[in-house]
Amino acid sequence: MKRHGVRAAAVSLMLLGAATASPMAAAVDLPSDVDFPHRDSPEARVYRGSIVFSNYCVLCHGQNADGKGRAAKLYTPPPANLRKSDKTDEYKELIIRRGGAPMARSEFMPPWGAELTEEQISDVVSFLRSIAPEDAPR
Amino acid sequence: MLNKYLAFPLAFCALVSSALAANHVVEQKGKAFSVKSLNVKVGDSVEFVNADPFNHNVFSLSDIKTFDLGSYPQGQSKKVVFDKAGQAEVECAIHPDMILKVEVSE
Repeated sequence: MKRHGVRAAAVSLMLLGAATASPMAAAVDLPSDVDFPHRDSPEARVYRGSIVFSNYCVLCHGQNADGKGRAAKLYTPPPANLRKSDKTDEYKELIIRRGGAPMARSEFMPPWGAELTEEQISDVVSFLRSIAPEDAPR
Repeated sequence: MLNKYLAFPLAFCALVSSALAANHVVEQKGKAFSVKSLNVKVGDSVEFVNADPFNHNVFSLSDIKTFDLGSYPQGQSKKVVFDKAGQAEVECAIHPDMILKVEVSE
């Protein structure tokens, strides 16, 4: 458990360091006995996706991704509960990129294609996959 | 009969009121509102013009006005009328750092 905590903290530092690329981040002396996940590993993608989600999606979908964000009260139907989503990864990627209107869903779901990078969109989908029901279609 | 006599003055007042209301234009450029705060009168409208080459959104969850004008591309604008006095915080759902404070007075 303790090792897991150390590892999570180290991964956070590594990813944040990569994001900020500051001299201070580069100077952090990381423990040598920690197995860092590769940046393309599922763990790293889910972690990065959770950060993107926290920055851009929580307003409507909520911190718990249950559709109860602070702006949810503005919309009928309410934002999707992403913990119970029955949509495929491909569908999620499309609606994130294009927004709700072209997908015949809520016009209030913005198109994120111009704001997020390809990697960020892919990471968010990985994060959503990690919180979706196990029997949800892929 | 009374309604008939009231209809004209009421319509006249509404017409005068809307004629006196101002429209304030705020640009969305460089992922920022062109002003950080704005003072308007009750009945005034604020028009948000997207001058960025990507979509913006405008919404507010303030007590005096809750709205979401949706997302729209460069060159388009959306307008909202503030019909109650108080303070409103206007945001962009796509760019969380964009915040505009609107002070609405009688």
